[in-house]
Amino acid sequence: MTPAAARTPDHLTLALPKGRILEEALELLARAGLPLTMPEKSRALRHEFPGITILELRNQDVPVYVDLGVADAGIVGKDVLIESGRAVYEPVDLRFAACRLSLIREIGATGTIGRVGTKYPRAARAYLNAQGIPAEIVKLSGNIELAALTGLADAVIDLVQTGGTLRANNLEEVDVLFESTARLVVNRAALKLRRERLRPLIERLRELVAADHLV
Amino acid sequence: MSSPARSAPPSPARTAAIPEGTRDVLPPEWAQREHLRARLVEVFGAWGYRGVELPALEYASAEHPQDARAFKLIDSGGQVLALRSEFTTAMGRLVRARFPAGPFPLRLQYGGRLWLRALTSELGRLREFYQVGVELIGVATPQADAELLHLAAAALDAVGVSAQLEVGYPGFVDAVLEDAGLHGEARDALHDAIDRKSGADVDLLARRGGLSAEVTRTLHALTDLYGGAEVLDSAEALARAGAGQGARALEAVAHLRNVAALYGGPLLFDLGVSRRYGYYTGLTFRAYADGLNQPVLGGGRYALEGGLPGAGFAVGLERLTGVLAPTLPPEPEVVLALDLAGAALARASGLTAELAWTDDETELRKFCVARGIARMVQGETFTAVDSFGSNGVDA
Repeated sequence: MTPAAARTPDHLTLALPKGRILEEALELLARAGLPLTMPEKSRALRHEFPGITILELRNQDVPVYVDLGVADAGIVGKDVLIESGRAVYEPVDLRFAACRLSLIREIGATGTIGRVGTKYPRAARAYLNAQGIPAEIVKLSGNIELAALTGLADAVIDLVQTGGTLRANNLEEVDVLFESTARLVVNRAALKLRRERLRPLIERLRELVAADHLV
Repeated sequence: MSSPARSAPPSPARTAAIPEGTRDVLPPEWAQREHLRARLVEVFGAWGYRGVELPALEYASAEHPQDARAFKLIDSGGQVLALRSEFTTAMGRLVRARFPAGPFPLRLQYGGRLWLRALTSELGRLREFYQVGVELIGVATPQADAELLHLAAAALDAVGVSAQLEVGYPGFVDAVLEDAGLHGEARDALHDAIDRKSGADVDLLARRGGLSAEVTRTLHALTDLYGGAEVLDSAEALARAGAGQGARALEAVAHLRNVAALYGGPLLFDLGVSRRYGYYTGLTFRAYADGLNQPVLGGGRYALEGGLPGAGFAVGLERLTGVLAPTLPPEPEVVLALDLAGAALARASGLTAELAWTDDETELRKFCVARGIARMVQGETFTAVDSFGSNGVDA
């Protein structure tokens, strides 16, 4: 790994989640004036551009890299950011990758909620505590809806994008914990130390997002 | 490959394991850390900050700012004790008990380990760590704040850190929110959103609270109040534009102008710093080392129990050592001394001398290779380990 001290003062290291967000993020950052292109399909985890290093990460790892300062800034969903509990700045709502974190049950279910399955135990705990629901939380890794269908849990807390999966499986959203979109996140020290580069980037991204959503 | 289950480690006393969040400090790190600690202590001392030592065991108290995060122990009398989790509160106790009449300003320095029960944020944090720091107690003038900035810069300079100091004032955000007529839970939530510079969360809270477009604009402006000295002008304009007279906010800006003028050197400002830092009542500051995205020093102004003003800062030695290790002078060469005269000669010329413990030359040579020792000394003669004994006894 390149040690932090070896970078030139205006070099930027950005943490981006692999997959669909990566493409959209790179495109947006390129429109904001960064000299980036979509990297060739390869096994590289780190992509070098003039004055910029892109780290390709699992989305849960983006807040960690940014908080600990290995990356100066990154792009990650608000859902992942809340779940991480990391104290990073989030100066721009990029408004893509929209989804919501919801409490989901089988249609018509009315019994007490004693157990909740989720990929988001921290957000789930905060929500259940605020609602005064003394439920047990089961941390799961995928296909969360199955937990509600099989009786593993009385309800699940999971991401909803279109609601198609829910309808196909006889499930419904009972409550919305919060709406999520992709955010630009920035390390607390980097925002100050590299503000000559980050401040214009933040302003340009705000303008682009505002222009894209002028309907 | 598989690690033992966390719930049932195999008889911890017999394994080499140490608790998560703790670490063994080995050479050469130990020496580097001691070197840095000694330099900082020396600078603090030259500025009149006298050292005190505090007990690592304290009475547990629900009022302690770190109570929820401190390790608790029960002594044989049933008394609940806590392992020291933070220095400022302990220093406040010491000052009340030992220096009730000052004389003030009272300048003290401390150093030692702290312990936290939980990892603050999992990865990258320790549960046992070492801090040194200073407290300037009994005065609350701009000169006192500026002294701490000067001392922070001097201490970091003495250990070779080219630091940038950043100053904040959590009361400024609070004053602007108050001027905007915000109270209670809504104000707390906005404090948090502004501290994270989250425009999206500010919008969300503004919509929920039915805030006017003008107030929302003000809140957004708070998230952008960071940078160089120009920030103070923007902050002043923002405070004047508020619905109230902005008296508290303007006072904060005036105080910062005063401190900045007394300090004289370049400063960064962030007036969007909010009340994450519970007990601070005035100016807060931190120091960044060039190229490192983590602060190396932090502090601020607070009020001691009983109302006595205080201010200070602390330096985390683990991080500082990590930053500076590559820049520290190498340790002196180690030689193996075959007699006391040789050892004395080597030490007198600034080398480190380890004594031979046997006459077996093969064993000595093997040890030197393993230990990375290149030279031996006997009497007044240095010999390269390579040539030593190779055609000695047998020849």
